Amino acid sequence: MPALLLLLSGCASIPEAVRELPAGAALELDDAPFYPQERYQCGPAALMTALTQSGADVALDNIVEKVYLPGKKGSLQVEMLAATRTEGRLPYVIDGTLSAIRNELESGRPVVVLQNLGVAAIPRWHYAVVVGIDADRGEVILRSGTDRRRITSTRTFLYTWRRGDYWAMVVLRPDELPATVNRERYYAAIAALEQTGRLEAAALAWRTAENRWPGDPVVLFGLGNVESALRNFAAAETIYLALLKLDGSLLVVRNNLALVLAEQGQFAAAINEIGTALERNDDPALEAELRDTERMILAMRAAGQ
Amino acid sequence: MTLYKLRGFLLRLVSVSIICMGFAQAAPAGMIGTGHLIESEARAASISRVEVLLAHDDVARQLVALGVDQATVVERLNGLSTAELLELEEQIDDQVAGGDALALIGAVFLVLLILELVGVTDIFKSI
Repeated sequence: MPALLLLLSGCASIPEAVRELPAGAALELDDAPFYPQERYQCGPAALMTALTQSGADVALDNIVEKVYLPGKKGSLQVEMLAATRTEGRLPYVIDGTLSAIRNELESGRPVVVLQNLGVAAIPRWHYAVVVGIDADRGEVILRSGTDRRRITSTRTFLYTWRRGDYWAMVVLRPDELPATVNRERYYAAIAALEQTGRLEAAALAWRTAENRWPGDPVVLFGLGNVESALRNFAAAETIYLALLKLDGSLLVVRNNLALVLAEQGQFAAAINEIGTALERNDDPALEAELRDTERMILAMRAAGQ
Repeated sequence: MTLYKLRGFLLRLVSVSIICMGFAQAAPAGMIGTGHLIESEARAASISRVEVLLAHDDVARQLVALGVDQATVVERLNGLSTAELLELEEQIDDQVAGGDALALIGAVFLVLLILELVGVTDIFKSI
């Protein structure tokens, strides 16, 4: 009995914010594709559903190669995100609430979830895809394992989901916003796309963000940086200048502006910008980067580029 | 540096350069990344390029040790953000892998059955 109680500990109530669901018509994405999983390969199967629903042209074998980790007999969450990016899509971790899941379903997007189907002491980690939700009946419908429609009570679903810290992700096309958007997390998602070199997709995503939040400094910086990475230096310059008009204190923007000026052979202007940045800087962490940039610009000038 | 350590260092350097060749270089040198203006990304954005390359190398070796094909490991890593790469480097052993692997020790089967019946777990299909 003590062992049982020990295993049950952690079954305290689920927070209201997580479990509340507005009463509404039952929702189900009937046409969300189903990929019955092979042994240990619930990750690829779940990701395939979300990717193909978003219109990506993908093959299961390719996804298996990208996310299945033989030594762990499963798939890591970060690799699920990484694989999504390599297929030209924007992975976004949604808020860990039932209403966030419902909102995504309403937008036509199935939600990949991490569940612990066991308990903390004896875990069985599993990826499934939420394709339906029914607040009145208290049910969640999942593509799960070899079940095309696994109907789970909301209560049980929440227990299994909670043990994975309510992790859930959706696959967005770069021009799509999540149904419930946390701005910082969304920006971080686009920045991640940039970092992995998916520049056209990142540009599209930043422009989508700009429509939604015009004049946001992070968005403009992102747009400028993508243009720089694409070597569209004149376009990048225009964006950085506009951004500095909005907020002249952003020294990181001055840094990048200086570099794109140098790339266009405008060395005097470049040196002026980086000089201004160095003058105004009081952040020791940034100092080294600014000095490096100054050195680079001087070297470029000396090389007569 | 002893000869042995030097050899280790050189091998590491060589493996880093091999990985560099497949590494997605997004921004021109000297550019400060967008992550700098995003609070949750600031730490990852401020680490040096060399540290990123070393983390890349480190995680690549760990993934290969976990059974990933040498030929595909670089492509897999290319999809990770810098923050995710650092996270993996630090915590790959602790991270859960969804895959339905279940180590059942005989005596706890009954306990799991009870938990299943009260709806706490969802392991068994037809119960």
